Order: sequence, then C-alpha cells, then structure tokens
Amino acid sequence: MNRIDLTIEICGLSGDGTIAAGGLLNEAMSRAGFSALAFDSYPAEIRGFGRCVTRSRFGFDRQIALENQTNLLISLDDEQSLSRLPFLAADAVVLFDNHPPSPVAEGKSIAGHARPAMSLFGAPFRDLAAAASGSAKGRNLAALGVLAGLLNLPVDAFRERIGKKFKSKGEKVAAGNIRSFDAGLEYVLKTYPDRLRPLPVPAAPAGQAEKVLWSGNVAIGEGALAAGLKNYFGYPITPATPIMEYLAARLPAKGGRVLQVEDEISAIGAVLGSFYTGARAMTATSGPGFALMTELITQAVSAESPAVIVDAQRGGPSTGLPTKTEQSDLLAAVFGGPGDTPRIVIAPTDVTECYHLTARAFPLAEKYQTPVIVLTDFYLDNRVENIERPSISADAVADALLKPAPDQAGSYHRYQVTPSGISPRALPGTPGFQHNITGLEHDERGVPDFSPGNHQKMSDKRDRKIQGALADLDPPEEYGDPGPLDVGVVAWGSTFGSALDAVQSARDQGLKVGCLKITALFPYHEDRIQAFMDRSKTILIPELNHSGQLNTLIGHLGRGRIVRLNQSTGIPLYPSTILGKIHELIGEDRS
Amino acid sequence: MKTPARRLAEKVQSIQESNVFNIRSGELPTWCPGCGYFGIHFGINNALQRLGLDHHQVVIVSGIGCAGRYPFFSNTYGHHTVHGRSLPVAQGVKLGNPNLTVLAVGGDGDGLGIGGGHFPHAARRNFDINYVLFDNSIYGLTKGQPSPSTPKGFKTKASPEGTVDQPLNATLLALSYGATFVARLFAGDPEGITTALMAGIRHKGFSFFHVYTSCVTFDKQFKTWNNLTNRVRPLPAGYDPADRRRAIERVLVDDDSLGIFYQEPPKGKE
Amino acid sequence: MSAPKFIIIGNGPAGLEAAITLKEKAPDARLTIISRDPHESYRPKLLPDYIAGQIDRSALMARPFSWYDQIGARLRVGQTAVRLDLHAREVLLDHHERLAFDGLILAVGGQPRIPEPYWVFRDLMLPLKTMADADQWIDRLKDVDDVLIVGGDLTGFAVVRALLALNKKVRFVFGEEALWPTRPTPEIFRQAADRLIRRGVEVVPGKLRRIVRETDGALAVTTTEAQTSAGLVGAFFGLAPDVAFLAESGLAIERGVLVDEHLYAGFPGVYAAGDCAQVYHPQIRDYWVSIGYENARALGRIAALNLAGGLERVNVAAESIFDDDGIRVNTSWWMEFGS
Repeated sequence: MNRIDLTIEICGLSGDGTIAAGGLLNEAMSRAGFSALAFDSYPAEIRGFGRCVTRSRFGFDRQIALENQTNLLISLDDEQSLSRLPFLAADAVVLFDNHPPSPVAEGKSIAGHARPAMSLFGAPFRDLAAAASGSAKGRNLAALGVLAGLLNLPVDAFRERIGKKFKSKGEKVAAGNIRSFDAGLEYVLKTYPDRLRPLPVPAAPAGQAEKVLWSGNVAIGEGALAAGLKNYFGYPITPATPIMEYLAARLPAKGGRVLQVEDEISAIGAVLGSFYTGARAMTATSGPGFALMTELITQAVSAESPAVIVDAQRGGPSTGLPTKTEQSDLLAAVFGGPGDTPRIVIAPTDVTECYHLTARAFPLAEKYQTPVIVLTDFYLDNRVENIERPSISADAVADALLKPAPDQAGSYHRYQVTPSGISPRALPGTPGFQHNITGLEHDERGVPDFSPGNHQKMSDKRDRKIQGALADLDPPEEYGDPGPLDVGVVAWGSTFGSALDAVQSARDQGLKVGCLKITALFPYHEDRIQAFMDRSKTILIPELNHSGQLNTLIGHLGRGRIVRLNQSTGIPLYPSTILGKIHELIGEDRS
Repeated sequence: MKTPARRLAEKVQSIQESNVFNIRSGELPTWCPGCGYFGIHFGINNALQRLGLDHHQVVIVSGIGCAGRYPFFSNTYGHHTVHGRSLPVAQGVKLGNPNLTVLAVGGDGDGLGIGGGHFPHAARRNFDINYVLFDNSIYGLTKGQPSPSTPKGFKTKASPEGTVDQPLNATLLALSYGATFVARLFAGDPEGITTALMAGIRHKGFSFFHVYTSCVTFDKQFKTWNNLTNRVRPLPAGYDPADRRRAIERVLVDDDSLGIFYQEPPKGKE
Repeated sequence: MSAPKFIIIGNGPAGLEAAITLKEKAPDARLTIISRDPHESYRPKLLPDYIAGQIDRSALMARPFSWYDQIGARLRVGQTAVRLDLHAREVLLDHHERLAFDGLILAVGGQPRIPEPYWVFRDLMLPLKTMADADQWIDRLKDVDDVLIVGGDLTGFAVVRALLALNKKVRFVFGEEALWPTRPTPEIFRQAADRLIRRGVEVVPGKLRRIVRETDGALAVTTTEAQTSAGLVGAFFGLAPDVAFLAESGLAIERGVLVDEHLYAGFPGVYAAGDCAQVYHPQIRDYWVSIGYENARALGRIAALNLAGGLERVNVAAESIFDDDGIRVNTSWWMEFGS
C-alpha cells in the first residue's frame, strides 16, 4: 500500500466558502478513513484582509504535524491565491475557476503564475454551481466535486457531509449544494479523463473506534465538560474565544454557567471565587489577557486557591500577532508575577492531549490547591485532527479536595503545615470551619503574619506542595532509539509533533536520533529529562519563540550541549526545518 | 433622667443581648481608634445577626485597603483578594454556591479607583450579592492620598495644591449602572446601616450600600465626623424608593440624605 | 519604451525553435509561450519509439521546464488560446485571461485529421499526435494483439514499425488515402505496399467503409473490398491545422493561416509557422503546407527572425526526405492540401 502524504490547501476571499469547504473536506476525508491534521491560517499582511486559507494534511498514518509545502491548491479567488504560490510544491496541482464572469487582465489568473511543472486543472466553479443549483454560491462545493473526481475520493462521504451541513438551511439548499458538488465531479471526469490522479483509499479496519474531528479548542472544551466544569468565565480574545463559545452552547444544558465578563481580571477573579466554594471553574485567554490575570494568579498561589487557566498563546509581546502562533508565554506562565509563586504548568502537544490535560487540570488544581495553567498555542487551538473520541475515567477526574477531619471544627487551621505541604481545605457553608484566605502572607490560621520565620515556613510549604505534584504529572515520553543519540530533540507544545515527524524522518534515513516530549513544564521531571539529555551527544530544543524559553527553564540540565532552534515567524515550526537542523548538527559532528 | 453612665450601661446590655459579638472573630480590628469602620462593622454584624444567618453560610469578600482587612475580623468565611477585585470574586462565589450569602466590602479607592471597571458590570449582571462601599474619600492605608471620591481642594502630600478632579458619586453611579437596590448610609448611624443591610440582603439581586465614613487620621479637612454628622439627614418621609428616575434626580442635587434610594419592586410571578 | 512583449502560441517543434531564436535575436523581449499540452516540450517524431518501448519518457523531452526559466521566458502549460483580438492585440486564453502582445507567432500545429466520411467512426480509431495519445496507445496495446492501420501518413508508417517491434499483428488498409497528403505515383505506392508486406504487414485492399465494435470488444472493419477485424484501429490521415479559434480574428484562413513567404500573417508583428501555416509560394503563386518535424523547426526559426526585425524567406528549395526503412517520401513541400 502506498504511503499517502497529501497536503491540500483551499484559498479564497471571505464569502467564497473557503472555511466551509475546508471543513467539509476534512470531514469527508476523515469519514473515508484518512487521518487528517488541518490548520486554517490567516496571513498577517493587511492587504490580505479577508483572505482565508485552510490547509489539511492527509495520510493513512496519524498526522502529527503540517509540512511547509502544499501538494494541491484549490483557488476560489485567484488574486488571494497568488500569495500561496511560494508554499506550493514544485509539482503541485492547482484547481482554479477557469471561467470568471468576465475575462481578466494578464496576471490576475493564477494560471499565469503557476510554475510549468505544476498541474493546472481549470473548471468553471461558478458556472457549474449556477447551472446545478441556480446560484454561484455553491462554487466551493463544485470545487470540492472537482477535487473528489480528480483524486477519486469517496464521493458519498462528501455528499453525506454536504447534506448534513446544509440541512439546517432547508432541503432545497442542501440538495442544490449536493448537485453543485456532483456538477464539479462530472466536469472533471468528462474534461480530464486522461489526467485523473486516483488516490488509494485506506481500507477501514474492522471495529475501528469512532473518530471525531476536533480542534484543540473543542478538545479543551470537551475535557472541561468531562471533568464536570460548573462555571466558565471568559473575555473574548483570539485564539481562546472558541472555547467560550463552545462551552456556551453546551455547559448550560449540564447545569453550568458560561459568563462573558468585563475583562480577564474579572474572569480569573470569578474562577477563584467559584473554586473557593468547591465549584469547578475555568477561564481561557491568550497572552495579553493572561498578563492581566497575573496578579490574581499569584494571589491564588498565596491563598492556595484552585484555578484552571488556559493560556492559548499567540505571537507577542503585547497585542503582538493576534492571529499567529508562538510559544512565548512559557516563562510568564511558570514565573509570571510578583514573588515566588510556584504553580502547575502543563502543555498538551496534540488535540487528544488538549482533552486529557484540560480534564486532569481540575483534580490537580483541587488536590494541590493551586492555579493550573494549561499552555496551548494558536497552532494547537485552531488545528483540527481526526482522533478517536477521547474519554477519561471518572476516577481520573474525581473530586480531589482534601477535607479537614470533622473533629477540627472550631480549631481548624486553613494553612496547616504538613509534610506534603497540602493543608485540608474546608468549603464555605461548612459549620465550624470558618476561615479567611488571603494573598497577604499569613500564618497557619490564615491571619496576616509578616514575621521572618513565618514567611520562610510558608514559602517552603508552597514550594514543597508544588514539587510534590510531580507524582501526578505525566513524565516525559521518549521516542526513537533507546541507546546513545547523536541528536536528542526536546520539544513541548505544538512544536512537539513537528519534532517527532522530523525525528521519524531522520531515523528513516538511518540517523541516531530521538525525541523527548515534555508536557509537565512546571514542576518538571528533572531526572527523566537529565537522563535523556545525558545520552544525547547534542541536544536540540526547537521552539517557536525568540529567546528559547524552554531552554531557559531546563537548559542547565544539558551541560552545555544544547543547541537552540528558535523561530519568531508566527507560523508553525515545520518538520522540514527541524530535520534540516538535525542534518546540520550531525554533519558538523561528522566533519 | 438617665445619667450618661446609665445610658452606657443600657447600651452595653442591649449590645450583649444582640449577640453581635458572636459574629466577630478573635482578631482585633487594625483600624485606628475612632475610625468610622467600627460603626460599619457593627451595623453589618447586627444585620447578619438579626437576619439569623448562620455564620458559616456567609462569605465576605474584600479587596485591599483599610476596609480590605474586614473579613479577618468576622467569624464568617472570608476571601481577602487583591486590590479592586472583590466584586469579580464575589460573583464567582455566588455562582459557585448560590446558597451562600455573599458580601463584598471595600473602600472608595478599591471600588471606584482600581476596581471601578467591575462595578457597572456587577450592577447590571444583578447577581444576588451585596456590595458595601466604605467611602471615606481617601487612601488611608497608604497614609492619606486623594481618592476618586475626594472633594476638590483636598490637600495631601500627593496633592499639595489641592485636588482638582471632579469627585465620583457612588450612589449616582450605582443608580445609573442599573443596580436594583441602592442605599446611602453613614458610619455614624449603625442602626441605619443594619436596617438597610437587612433589606438589601433580603433583596434578590445586586444590592449596593454607599456608606459615608470618616478617616480620623488623614482627613481633617472634609469628611470629618463633625462635618458629616452636621450634613446628613434621613430621606424625607414618604420618599418612594421604587422610582429610579426620581432617585437619580434627587442624588444629582442632594449629597446629604440617607436611606434606601432605590429598590426595584419585586417582579410578578412568571 | 519597455521591452516588447512576444507571445508564441504552441510549444511544439516550430514554437520551441521560435523561442530559441527569439531569445537569441531579441534577448530583451519578454517572451510568453503558451502550450496546450500540460507538460514539457517533446519530440513528436519519437512518439512511435516511445510506444515501442525503445525509449523512455524522459528521452522524449526536448527542453526541461528549467530551460524556460534560464532563458527568462514564461511558459504556460496546459493553457489554450481560444480567441485572438488583433484590434486590441490580445490573446484570450480558455480560462478567461487576456494576454497583450506586441508580437505573436502562431505555432499551434495541427490536430489529427479524420476525413469527413469517417467522422462517425472517430471514437473507434486512435490517432497519434500528443503524448496523451501515445500513453493511450501503450495502455491499449497491453490487451491487444492485432492492430489495423487506416490512412497511412508518415506517422502511420513509424507506428507500423513500432507495432512490429512489439510483435503485434499489423493489418494496413493501404488504399488511396495512404501517404496523405502526397499523391504518390503508382510506382511509389506499389513499392511502399511491397515493403509493408515484406515486413509482415497484412495489406488489406480497398477503402474504409465501416467499423463496428463487436460484443467481445473487437472491432469488425469493412472495406470496399474486404472484411477484417482488429483489437485496435489506428487512424493516420495527417494533420489539419488547428486554427478554428482564429476564425473570427480577421486573419486570412483557408485551411491554415495564410502567410507570405516571410511567414507574415498580414498584421503587424503577427506570424505563423509550422503545421498551422499555409505559406505562399511566389513562384507558383499558391499556398503550400509543410509537414514534418524539420520543416516545422525551420519555419519557427524564420518566423522568429522576422518578428525580431529580419526579412527572411522560406527556402522553398529545401528538401527533406522521410525515409522509413525504404519508404522514401519527400516531405519538404506539398502541393496539395486537403483530401
């Protein structure tokens, strides 16, 4: 069976139905048994305002990263699509509308710019849709029909998804859209019978688990729901807003509330208030909002209040690059804010982990009475993967509140110093356990106490508690050769998938390389990381930030053998970039 | 005729019978002797006692400032949060457990300055929480700087030529923000505080209590006990608190009346 | 003044030679080449060898895509000119893009010609003009052992040789349409038939009448004199200039684009070359067409030289002999055009 590796891109102007077509493509391909990873991107330049681009990578094996090159482009608007030409493979296939309403001047058609080695397939998307449905609106579906015919994709999967998607707009619209799809299909079969490029379709293994097509944001929402989220507080910010919107459609039915509040400070404040009463609460934000939350996060550390905060990173600093991806909030998440404020920071690397780590954040926050920051990024939040529907056991998300013994009524000390650092926590409404929590340094009772011995004692307690959380955090996972490595790649977040993809390619080429995935960023498993680094001749840390923040955090474990690969471009680090660096490092080593 | 000593003895007895001290914690308030906050403390405690609320069913949320320390002096659950953020936290507490009685307390710097952005939204959201603003028109804990409600011309180290900004009127703000219960009170009238608090806590919705008080240490110029005592008076007999427009009109010209300015009438059964 | 903009329509032997020449003689010109074929320029002459499996695809290629980059020309492949507007001096492409030009060389070649009486059978016959045709031949020959050739132009003879090399049984309807567009003398005709028979080709007498697809997929072929059958019928009736899109352009069209002995089409900067051109012969005062790869190249070069400012004449005396293992035909100039 041929190994399929196909990246398809759809580009158009808003109103062309680009995103809808991309979504349908992903759904149909997923239904046909392909593995998919998709990421819609929004070019930064103002001139590109309104431009939509969806990119999807398909294959038989699980897709873990996007590559930098596109194999097939569907242009729904040639002027917009011209900007995509540099990202097309040399032998890319380009589908475009070859019958614009009136002839265009030279250079306005993508046909005039495509390299000769590319394969152009013109089809009158607008005319086909208009003839089939009475409206040119369905040109995106006609384009999908052309694609399906060209690649011999399972057309019933497309028809079914189209019917389902437009069902809410009435049978007539749905039927018209299916006809538009069919018109594109017929056109390509009739027009290019000798140029078709049938793609092998994966055989569906029997008993395959149900697959869902989820974005990172959806997985975060589902993870929170699985953990029994009661209250969500949020403020709109790219790229975290879809989490709020997803929960707003689902949480009320489960008896919870979604509240859009006046700012991120209010959001984290309300999360602390809700968790204070034992009701699981969450907020999700991005860099600028996270910065606003910082003071209350440090208060939560001091007052030992649980909280779950998703920081969906985007390009910074400041307002930065709202629609671009970056991994530059790591140090802010781990250390941000006044004082010594140990807290738990975890970072998923794919959509499935978005689900699990979000769900796990709640019992972690409860057990360790601390803010838990789930660090994602634009590339992870907005990517779509088709994955087996994740689930988590009730035990794994069970209430982890350590309650005080009833006989402590009347003599309860909220901040009792214990070997683990964890003090039993009483919830408001419990008779006889009234107490205050505070961000002032306090004694065991919660009463302000600024004496030297007390501050030392309480700082020790808080640190001990968080270090103890390592026992409940996923240890780093090693991939690749078990023995000595020429290059060991250490990666986190959305970059991990690209790193693993690069390492797999390098191993296929016979190189001695491996990869370490770190999801627990604070506290982190020093011994495990050290062990991996010790067997790596050179350690490569690829990160989507300028300063090498993971390297700043754990670089001391590398004993001077770390090479950084940093990129401040706002676009994902692609496997080919990391692979190139691996080649460079091994080449240097050999010379 | 009762001697002063006799009157004092009677007062002490009535206070003891009210069990108002039961709701106080073992911590002694850190406020200066003569601080108006003692009167507010007394008024609030009395209201909670008279309403018969279980202490463990009450959560008091505070920000930073002299008033921020309030929860430490009460035998309820308390959440001493950061500067200006008592209202967001209080709303989270109420959503977390709607059975709790939730009070947010804080000063004018905390609530009108740094936290001023939360006030309108807490008001319009109309959760069933109670917000008591201790308005002494000064930053006391940081030793006397002008606050958002400081009258013009107040001289401090931070404003040696006197303040020039227009002071905020918290009662007017609450009315215009759509608060469904608005009272103006005076620390020197604990009984008035208790009465209004009892009505406000019973009110299902956002209740706002604007309490005039005095900073005896840093304000010798405007909001002194003498000045305040001479100024304030009850709302006229027959005042109808059901009319928000009338309330706003009155507050625009009347800085001195005390009482419940507005209470949204209960809506008919749905 | 900015550099002139030249367009060559066609990337066959004539078009390619024109491109090479233009880059040599007018290096500053901006050059666009429009190719209907969705691939590199190739040597059509070698297609029979390709079918025979004697050369692989890469050996067919005349110039790689990178060559066009090197000479700074823009190559548009898989694109077809559908209209020429000589007033606006624009070419309209099939995907509705308008290209302006200062100079234009029409080198669109021809399409396999199917004589009118046989149109109804055209789906049952396979010509050989493009790479796609060749691929179809290769594909069909996998399942077919016997092939019938009708017509019989130069390409047809080459295909016969390829089929024999593949050990296929070859039949040839060797009637009056063979050797089109020449009108061979009976002597040449007889010689050619002898050659075929000697090579093992079964010569079927008569003129094609009917082709019927049988239920088993085989084709039953009837001529005026015989009945035979074949798994595949190849049609070789020469090429017809592919100039339908020029019909409303204002150019003089007969069967091809009428040009003078300088290949000038009568509008400033517009020339035609190769199979699509009908060239004026000043001595006989009539128009001629040429066939064959070498002729096409020669015409492409002359058109380009003249577009670049020259005044070259077509060398009417030039002679090119097609020699297919003893079947010798003069290909340089053909008096007759059409059937």
